[in-house]
Amino acid sequence: MATPKIIVIGAGVMGQGLAEAIASEGNEVLLIDKTMRLAERGVRGIAEAMDREITKWGLTESDKKAILARIIPSSDLTLADEAEIVIEAIPEDLEKKQSLFAKLDSLCPPDCLLITNTGTISISEIAAATERPEKIIGMHFLNPVTKIPLVEIVKGLKTDEETFEKAVAFAQLLNKEYITVNEYPGYVTTRIIVPLLNEAMHVLMEGVATAEDIDRAMKLGFGFNVGPLTLADMMGLDVVMSWMENLLRELSEHKYNPCPLLRKMVRAGHLGVKTGKGFFEYDEEGNKIKKE
Amino acid sequence: MKILVINCGSSSVKYQLIDTEQELALAKGNVARIGMSASVLTHKPYDRPETKVTAEILDHIVAIEYVVSILMSKNHGVISDRSEIQAVGHRVVHGGEKFTESVLITKELMSELRSLIELAPLHNPHNIRGINACMKTLPGIPQVAVFDTAFHHHIPDYAYIYGIPYLLYKKYGIRRYGFHGTSHRYVSERAAAMVGRPLSGMKLITAHLGNGASVAAIDGGVSIDTSMGFTPLEGLLMGTRSGDMDPAIILHIMAREELSLHEANTLLNKHSGFIGISGVSSDVREIIESANSGNKRAQLAFNVFCYRLKKYIGAYSAAMSGLDTLVFTGGVGENAPDVRAKSCEGLDYLGLEIDTEKNAAVKGEETEISSTDSRVKVLVIPTNEELMIARDTLRIVSEQVSQ
Repeated sequence: MATPKIIVIGAGVMGQGLAEAIASEGNEVLLIDKTMRLAERGVRGIAEAMDREITKWGLTESDKKAILARIIPSSDLTLADEAEIVIEAIPEDLEKKQSLFAKLDSLCPPDCLLITNTGTISISEIAAATERPEKIIGMHFLNPVTKIPLVEIVKGLKTDEETFEKAVAFAQLLNKEYITVNEYPGYVTTRIIVPLLNEAMHVLMEGVATAEDIDRAMKLGFGFNVGPLTLADMMGLDVVMSWMENLLRELSEHKYNPCPLLRKMVRAGHLGVKTGKGFFEYDEEGNKIKKE
Repeated sequence: MKILVINCGSSSVKYQLIDTEQELALAKGNVARIGMSASVLTHKPYDRPETKVTAEILDHIVAIEYVVSILMSKNHGVISDRSEIQAVGHRVVHGGEKFTESVLITKELMSELRSLIELAPLHNPHNIRGINACMKTLPGIPQVAVFDTAFHHHIPDYAYIYGIPYLLYKKYGIRRYGFHGTSHRYVSERAAAMVGRPLSGMKLITAHLGNGASVAAIDGGVSIDTSMGFTPLEGLLMGTRSGDMDPAIILHIMAREELSLHEANTLLNKHSGFIGISGVSSDVREIIESANSGNKRAQLAFNVFCYRLKKYIGAYSAAMSGLDTLVFTGGVGENAPDVRAKSCEGLDYLGLEIDTEKNAAVKGEETEISSTDSRVKVLVIPTNEELMIARDTLRIVSEQVSQ
């Protein structure tokens, strides 16, 4: 079997979502992580996510089979030497991303679209690690990738027009609406949502209202699909904190200072849905456990 | 004339090469799993065994190229040069209000077809892809589009307008269009030939029962109503589709189960119908087997299906002020005597009675199954949409293309 032309690097939650979204649109995709075990765990994660979707009637067993058949796990980065599109979803860490892009720079064909999926890190800074900064672009997908119809396409300082056009075509391939963002810390979505989540945590910490009521107020009062504290739990409290720290470092503004309650919960390992406990409690399937 | 008939899906191409003089399919086959590294081409010449080819077929252009190549191949081919293909006929699902009959494909037409994508986002884009692929692979060969909706274009406004603000019809074209038109048209013409009367004087109901299923009321050769509506979801119960229901139900379920639009759509189109009610299968044969071995929910699904069909027969008899011929076609209509028997049960007040023995003995051929006393003739007619597409293509190319 030929190697797929689209590659996702990093088989965590974001990488899984990307691979599923790409395969759902009928494309084969290579899902790469450091070890085969991690990559295969990623594929299992995708299968489990699809099982949940089947119970909500969003998919059928045969859809699932067809989608999984298009996702090939691997630990061999050198397979990127014939790739047309490479998108990275490794942890939100500048050094790790720079080192990955330096490797990709030496491996990938010159016309390959190189995408970083970051919410807060500078595209230009990542691109600086390569000899082709004009070919690097950011595409900030939101979790869960298969359900959120938006992607932010982020131009680095040197990103050229051709690369941007390719990124637009990739967004369309995945059936996503896009907005164009000129690089600036936090772009649009992260920059606006993070202080809102932080403020909700302050309201909780100061004893103004219960977590349930804070979420209910924002859902009913402002038409949010999900309340802010639930949303933070879904994103992962460690992830929310790392975004805030990145924004704080870049912009040095007090409003990006993580709420002490958030710091405390991250230190205690209460990271939200993925650990079963955050502002609310969750079962193994990730469903909120309703308090009696 | 040798005509290539093409039916393009999202990742598949079905084809037949039809010799219109003998009305014979010289070869038929399909390409499956387009876009994958292991696509499969299945090809069957009329006089030789089936053959399969596995290859990397990344798009519809390559798929059509493979089809043309195998049609010309030494061992499996039926023509020696691509110039023998004199025209291409395409099945196009949605013709909107604009296309009321089959048309020769031109550049202008292509842009109009693209403007219809909004009405049939799941089908028309692939149909268009197939047309573009044939233009590339068979340049200069005339191509004709045959629409699933066209046969129903005479349906009167009081039958196609829904009871919602008229503005929505003007704004988004929300109305009944109906589908399976090519099949309903084919079997209605065959029915007239079988009973030896002109179609113009007949009151027909045609039931196309396959994985998707629809009924049409055909008065004097004209479709005056059909059970599928704005999309193929309405009407009869189907393999995985709900058919008719109270539209408030879906709003209620979406709220209670917190479903997204996508999830609600999949619920109605893929998790409903036979599979939804029975939990057993979307395939009527398996439903009947399971029902016969005592599975209550399979029996229920079967009963729901037949009851609805019977209601449509009654409704359309009323709509036409009479009925003289009922036709069953499609995989289920042609092969499931139980469905035909059950849905016609108790219709003797309409003058319709099935002969049990004839009904049980149907074997893939045009057969009359009504009893000798039955005033209404009941026929089983295997459908042949590809032949209908080839006939339309032949007619249009002969009339409109200067040789």
